[in-house]
This record gives sequence, C-alpha cells and structure tokens, in this order.
Amino acid sequence: MSHEPVGVLIIGAGASGGAFAWSIEDLGMSVLCLEQGPWVKQSDLPTNGMDWEARGLGQYAPDPNVRQLPADYPVNSSESAITPVMYNAVGGSTILWAAHFPRLRPRDFTVRTDDGVAADWPIRYETLEPFFARNDQMMGVSGLAGDPAYPYHEPPLPPLPLGRGGNRIARGFESLGWHWWPSDSAIISRAYEGREPCINLGACVSGCTQGAKASTDITYWPVAQRKGVQIRTGCRVQQITLDEDGLADGVLYFDEDGALQEQKAEIVVVACNGIGTPRLLLNSRSDRFPDGLANSSGLVGKNLMFHPVGHVAGIFDEPLDGRAGPDGCALWSHEFMPSDPSRGFVRGYQFQIGRSDGPASTALVGGAQGPVAWGKEHHASFARIFNHTASIGIMAEDLPEETNSVTLDPELTDSNGIPAPKITYTVSENSRKMLAHGLEKAEQVIRAAGASDVVVGPHVRVAGWHLLGTARMGTDPQTSVVNEWGRAHDVKNLFVIDGSVFVTAGAVNPTSTIQAIALYVADSMKRNVERLLD
Amino acid sequence: MANEVSPLEEPAFMRAVLDLVIPPRADGVLPGAGALGLGGEVAEQLRADTSDGPGVAAGLAAVQASARARDAEGFTALSAVAQLAVLQSQLPEHPALIPGLIRYVYVAYYQHPTVLGGLEQPARAPFPEGFDVEETDPALLALLESRRIRAPED
Ligand SMILES: Cc1cc2nc3c(=O)[nH]c(=O)nc-3n(C[C@H](O)[C@H](O)[C@H](O)COP(=O)(O)OP(=O)(O)OC[C@H]3O[C@@H](n4cnc5c(N)ncnc54)[C@H](O)[C@@H]3O)c2cc1C
Repeated sequence: MSHEPVGVLIIGAGASGGAFAWSIEDLGMSVLCLEQGPWVKQSDLPTNGMDWEARGLGQYAPDPNVRQLPADYPVNSSESAITPVMYNAVGGSTILWAAHFPRLRPRDFTVRTDDGVAADWPIRYETLEPFFARNDQMMGVSGLAGDPAYPYHEPPLPPLPLGRGGNRIARGFESLGWHWWPSDSAIISRAYEGREPCINLGACVSGCTQGAKASTDITYWPVAQRKGVQIRTGCRVQQITLDEDGLADGVLYFDEDGALQEQKAEIVVVACNGIGTPRLLLNSRSDRFPDGLANSSGLVGKNLMFHPVGHVAGIFDEPLDGRAGPDGCALWSHEFMPSDPSRGFVRGYQFQIGRSDGPASTALVGGAQGPVAWGKEHHASFARIFNHTASIGIMAEDLPEETNSVTLDPELTDSNGIPAPKITYTVSENSRKMLAHGLEKAEQVIRAAGASDVVVGPHVRVAGWHLLGTARMGTDPQTSVVNEWGRAHDVKNLFVIDGSVFVTAGAVNPTSTIQAIALYVADSMKRNVERLLD
Repeated sequence: MANEVSPLEEPAFMRAVLDLVIPPRADGVLPGAGALGLGGEVAEQLRADTSDGPGVAAGLAAVQASARARDAEGFTALSAVAQLAVLQSQLPEHPALIPGLIRYVYVAYYQHPTVLGGLEQPARAPFPEGFDVEETDPALLALLESRRIRAPED
C-alpha cells in the first residue's frame, strides 16, 4: 500500500528525531515521522507499582535482548566487550535515559589538532552553541551556571539537590582540590512548561512516571504535533528507496500488522541511533549502492564508539539517601578530562556521580561488587551496603577505530525478517589505561569523602548507552559519510541527525550534543533551502 | 525418573531452598525467603524464563536427588545443616543454579512489604508520593560561587 507523499520523512522518534521534527516544521513542507515503537503511557511505568524493580529489570530493561518487546529488534553483541542498550518507542532511548546532560566541550571538536589522534569535527562548539541553548529550553534543564570547565551558559532551571551522598562526594573532591560541579540534568527541579518537578522517585532509568525527566515524547513531540508534524507508530522501516537519479524517494516499512507499506518523500532523514542508523543504511542495498546506502566511503557502521565505564563504590558508616533522587545525576568532575601525556594515554575521562539503588537492585548488583552473598552472610552483607553506598562512574573517551563496528548479522533477524545488527567491539589499550587511572583517582575521592570501605568495578559490561560514530561527519567524502550539515555525501536528499554523525566521542554523555546537532541540521536545511540538492 | 515431579512444583522443597538462600535475620525482624511464601512466585518466574530457568530446574532436581540418596524422604527431611551441605555439593556441577535463583528470589524478597517494613523503608510504590533528599550543602554552594565564571556581559 502507498500513502500520500510527504516533504520530509523522519525515521525514528527518539532524542534527535523529536528535536529535528519540531524545528523542521518551519520549512513549510509536510513532515512525517515513522517510528517502530509505540507511545509510552506514564501510568504504565514501573514506579506506579510495588514491583517497580522487577519490571525495571524485565519489561523496562535497557537491553533489548532482555526486553524482547514487539518494538525491539535483536542485537548480536556476542563479539562486543560492551552490551549496547536502547529503547524503541516515541521518545526513543530518552524513555529510559538518566538525563545527565553535559555538552561536549570546545576542545572535543578539535582532537586531531590538539592531540594528533582521530579527526577534527567539521563544526565547532560555537556552531552548536545557540542550539545547545534552545535545546536546554525545550527539554527543561536544571543546573548551576558558571562551571569553569565550560564556556558560560545558563540552564533555565536551578540545580537538583545533591542529596547526602552527593554532598559527601563533593566534599571529597573539595578536600583534594579537584574540579566538581552540580550536573546539568534534563530533569526539572521546578514546575516548567506544564510539567511537574522531580519528586525523587529514584528510578529514572526505567522511565519517569512524574514526567519530570525530559523524554522527547513529553517535550518535543507534543509541540511538534501541535505545529502539524505527523507521527505514525508501529512502523519499522526496512529500507530507504531510490529514484533513478540516485536520490532517496521514500521508504518501505512494515506496519503494526506486518504488512509492507510504501511511503514516498522528497527528503529522508535518519534518526535511528548509532546502531539503528547504520543497520538501516546497510539494509538499503541497491545496484547503485551494493555495500549499503551512502556507503561509498565504506565507513557506514565503522568507528563505533561507546564510552567504556568503570565504577568505584564507597561504603559509608552513616546512612545516605541514595535510593532516592535522579539515579544518574548529581555532579560531574572534569578534573582528568584534558590530555596529559605524563599519564600514558591520550585524552581523558569524566567522573559522573549519581545515586545508588533500590533494595532489590542493591541485593543483585551489590554496589560494584556483584550480588550480595546468599546464605547466612546475606543480611549482614546487605545491611553493610544498602543505603550506605555512594559511587563514582568513570566515563572514558573512546577514540574511533574502524574495527569497532556495526555490521549485518548473517543469520539473526527481527520479527519482520529484517537482518539484525551485529556489534564487534573491543576496549582499546588507550581506554584501558584511562579506566585504570580513573579507578585509582576515584578511589582517592571516595576515601577522601570518608568511606570506610571501597569496592572497585573495573569494567561495566552493560554500559552501551552511548551509540556514536557509525556514519561520521566530515568534509571529505572518502573519510566521512555525511557532510558538515548532516547530508549524505552520496545522496543529496538523505540526512543523518543522530549520534552516528559524531567524529569523536568526548568523554561526556552525548545527548545534549546529539540534539543540538539535530537542531543545527534542521536550521542548516532551512537556511540552505534553495541549494539543498546542489 | 521420567515421571519425577519437578522440584519447582514442590512447595515444601522450594520453601526449604529459599530459606537457605535468604535465611531469617538473627533478630527475627526479617523472615526467611521461604517462610515469606515466595516459593510459588519464584517457581512461576523460573518456569517462564526459557534461558536461565532450565538450568536452575536441573540444579534443583540434582539437589533433590542428592538429598534422596541420603534420606528417602528427600530434602525437607534433612536437618538445615545437611540441607546446606547437599545444596553446596551440587554447585560445582550446576554453576547456574544460584545466579539463576537469586535473580528472582532477591527481587521478590526485597519488594515484599514485610521486608521493606523491616528495613524501615516505605512499603509503597515510589509514585506518587516520591521521596525527600537532602538539599545541597550551602557551604559547598558558597565555594562554587567564588569560582564560577560569569556571563560575558556581567
Ligand atoms: C539506560 C540509558 C541511560 C542513558 N543515560 C543517558 C544520560 O544520562 N545522558 C545522555 O546524554 N544519554 C544517555 N543515554 C543515551 C541517550 O538515550 C541517547 O544518546 C539518545 O536517546 C540517542 O538519541 P537518538 O535520537 O540518536 O536515538 P534514540 O533516542 O535511541 O531513538 C532512535 C529511535 O529510532 C527508532 N528506530 C530505529 N530503527 C528504526 C526503524 N528501522 N524504523 C523505525 N524506527 C526505528 C527507535 O525505535 C527509536 O525510537 C542513555 C541511554 C539509556 C538506554
């Protein structure tokens, strides 16, 4: 079945798709988004019930291979040191994200120039600055202006409270004289734009029932829809189709009933995240593009970057209110972010300090040490850590390497028979050294904060939250997939706007930057409308 | 052996095993996981878990078989010390038994109102009441104030 053609067709309604849709509506063309997942009802989310932890580990688990919901596609990560995670629905992975909201720093765009590794971006922090600010307004960001680690910017809302654990750790940083600052968080600390403020449910990563956490289904999408953008859910795009001139002319997709549908469009925009996007491009093979759409560089799916993560938990004698409050957001430290050759690795890492877990997750994860002992030691081991831990995450800058990749699995398919992605990823020597350094420094902070004991988790496996680099941006078609405003070098009406376009990963959570890029690409399209297909 | 009942279907067996995994706390405030009546719920979840469930069921069957070799009445007829010894004797052969079991026992136990009450945690869903957290220490904010950068026009 074919539908009425549209002007702009967006594939994926997540963080980038929502921001882009809201902005591109001003272009004056009809805008449609196809999303494989459903709308999520806040009243269905886990924290509505006593079994919130069980549901957070099952139906709302971040790993799609665990969840296996109809909207999910399987991901073969058997050859990856890190398990990628995501959510497939209107709002995309922002349904489950922790909403820690740092921006990339100016020096993150010039890695080659500064450190002689990887590549520079074709755009700069300054290019994105107005879009960072606009996005902060749209998402509702809480934070404290004036962090010396960044150019000056003003979050629209005051910072979230640090809580007992955060106050403790901040004092640890203070006593060492190291940088720390309350995190910018896409969680509202005050009522904002019809949304109620955070009430510290402590389960952001299984969805926010209060609606205080910014997921694009409650921020961008309602406004975009009011402006006229259409969204069609339960629609999984199988491939992007081409006309005889080699321009994208629409997509083939499976609807909720599994029927193949066709949708024609003048412009196609891919926003399926750093795994879904290369998967779709690689699945869109044709005589003209036998190795996948827009892949004349051979780089579609290559240079996959996560942020390798380590974890140090301190056990404190006094009770901390760690199970309450936004789990991924309290404060950050950029003390070891800039390169320092004396450390034996290039680039650096972020410390991210969040909160701790509810009782069931504490028993299963045990701070950083693995499950709490069973048997006669159980109660003592549990009591030692529950409500008594505060921890530091070490998030290392991953550098692009072509061997870290997304390819198509030769056998595995989703429920529509579309080939599933396969991840091949190893943690580089540079990242290992960085993590080892970070673990040692984090332990120093935790001890300075007064912990009576410290538990080190050297490598977190289910840490593939940040999916980056698999269709990278650049001015040279030989070494990049899209140009400096997200347009595929090979197909002039095809755009990529998600984390795939990252040239380097920085050492911070990427979504603020992903969304700023999506807004910037939309703005570039609006400004260059006459020469869009030049 | 072919028509042996799965240990997952034996409430008394499940209760005894769960009480070994989480025994009652010494002060009596927190009951054992078996005494709390979680056996049926855990068995149901294990039956539904097609990846880890079969490994756990096989391990539990081995535990029951080993107990029967000691006493024809099986696991529940043994003393607590003997039960623990039998369970532990099967772990080298069945390494998936405990990880698969605690995945469900811990979660069921720590979301039970009796346990939450015993831990002095509110026995309710987080929403809609939410929780309080400590405000940021004003002394820390004062330190940041002294080092923050200003808006260009300030
Ligand atoms: C548990 C968790 C915690 C996180 N915490 C943070 C954090 O604190 N800070 C931070 O910055 N980031 C965090 N992230 C990452 C953040 O969520 C992502 O960076 C962000 O959502 C990426 O945006 P996106 O638009 O690229 O992709 P997504 O938001 O993942 O959206 C992609 C959308 O495309 C749809 N799609 C894919 N393929 C198809 C297809 N073929 N047809 C139709 N639709 C399709 C998907 O269903 C999905 O809805 C976290 C992620 C997770 C899972």
